[in-house]
Amino acid sequence: MNLARRVYALRWVALPPLTGAGVLAMLVGAVVAAPRELVEGDVQRLMYIHVPSAQAMYLAFGVVFVASVMVLWKRDMRWDAAARGAATVGVLFTGFALVTGMLWGKPTWGVYWQWDARLTSTLVLFLVYTAYLLARAVSDPSDEQAARYSAVYAIVGFLDVPLIVMSVRWWRTLHPQPIVARLDPQLPDSMLAVLGISTLAIFLLAAWLILLRTDTERLGQRLLGLRADVDRREEA
Amino acid sequence: MNAFLAVLEKDLRLAWRDRAGWLTAAAFAAISILTYSFAFDLATSDVRPLLPGVLWTTFLFAGVFAAGAGFQREGEEGTFDALLLSPVSPTAIFLGKLAATLAALVVIEFALLIAATILFDEPLLTPELVAIVMLGTAGYASLTTLLGTLGSGHRARAVLLPVMALPLLVPMLIAAVRATGETLGLFGGDAPWVLLLGVFAAWSTLTAALLFPLAVER
Amino acid sequence: MDGELGYLFAGFAVFWAGLFVYLLLLQARIRHLTREVDRLEERLAEADGSGPPPAGSPR
Repeated sequence: MNLARRVYALRWVALPPLTGAGVLAMLVGAVVAAPRELVEGDVQRLMYIHVPSAQAMYLAFGVVFVASVMVLWKRDMRWDAAARGAATVGVLFTGFALVTGMLWGKPTWGVYWQWDARLTSTLVLFLVYTAYLLARAVSDPSDEQAARYSAVYAIVGFLDVPLIVMSVRWWRTLHPQPIVARLDPQLPDSMLAVLGISTLAIFLLAAWLILLRTDTERLGQRLLGLRADVDRREEA
Repeated sequence: MNAFLAVLEKDLRLAWRDRAGWLTAAAFAAISILTYSFAFDLATSDVRPLLPGVLWTTFLFAGVFAAGAGFQREGEEGTFDALLLSPVSPTAIFLGKLAATLAALVVIEFALLIAATILFDEPLLTPELVAIVMLGTAGYASLTTLLGTLGSGHRARAVLLPVMALPLLVPMLIAAVRATGETLGLFGGDAPWVLLLGVFAAWSTLTAALLFPLAVER
Repeated sequence: MDGELGYLFAGFAVFWAGLFVYLLLLQARIRHLTREVDRLEERLAEADGSGPPPAGSPR
């Protein structure tokens, strides 16, 4: 496990420049290099933020799930910090996915919101994330009971995701759909390339932010521990 | 099995003693239906497609509301902690509570179905519909029981319960409304809604029953 | 065509602004927490080194 530990220790050295380079490449690709879509025009370039953000949302959800399982299994509050860190970042990218989806939709569909399957299930997942963060917010960060409760919620939520996506998709395919900005598998190679770069860039960004946020949460936990120590010591 | 029955009996007795809470949930459900009737003028026939949605939102809100209020008492009295310390297996505790909750919810829903049949002149007590209602209720009751029981004793959590439970229940709500509508001949659908409802009920009960003991390990 | 460029710009702006604000807030939180942790560690060291502080001490 030594290699993994060493790689982890290098994260602050490697991640920021890699993330920066990735995001720059993504921007150049999205705005300049990618070809202009024939039907939708330049607005379609928002796809390079929208799609990777949605995928980062699922990634973050996965991290919250794994961390929550570890909270229940190992009873180590460090995993709770990771869960909260990943959840916060997840909400951020869900927000990006929703907003870019709406801004892409308005000129394409004529309205901001069309109840299309992907945006709707993204909205539901946004609510699940928010509920998770609210549950953590009303309780003490060092409260182990609350951590276990939230972990259970996160696990149920994650397992529910396929059911949510499926039910919303079935629900929406029964209604006449407008000419939706669907992710066409017939995308030209150049677009696919930029999409790939963007996805990599956003994943790096998400990873960096999750690690940053988790460290912050750990710092917060340490602070609470210190406060308790100081109180105890000064009462003596 | 004995433990399960004992817990079930205890919870049923508790539910009876706390019947004010359940009656309030029933009253809330009844008032919801009336509110919907006034707001959407459900007596006219072109609003009938709204009926399944009205029914299920009422069931869900009443159920979540009841779950939040119901578990407050046990948490506050500390009897729940005492139960957990006893040698009864946590799974039995959970299943007992779930069964009692289901019983109470089904009673409320039946009353509602009768009321709705009268109010909207729609035959709602068919075996298919009853089966759908039971399946859907099993689906949402297990999740609300899990979340409500684990969160008991913390006042803020009771208010948070609907916020936490409802997004998770979206698949069940969609499936239940569509299945109900299909049964009533109100709208068709190519998707196997009843199957999804059944899958959701099985999944939620299994997951809740498995997670509950892990979460209450002290 | 011009209108849709506005949406494109807005989308990228939201992305940038969102990231920027998030990082700023995170930085502020880290700074605050680090300051508090240092402060408390000092107090802890004092409490260990010199025993309990006398009544009426400035801290």
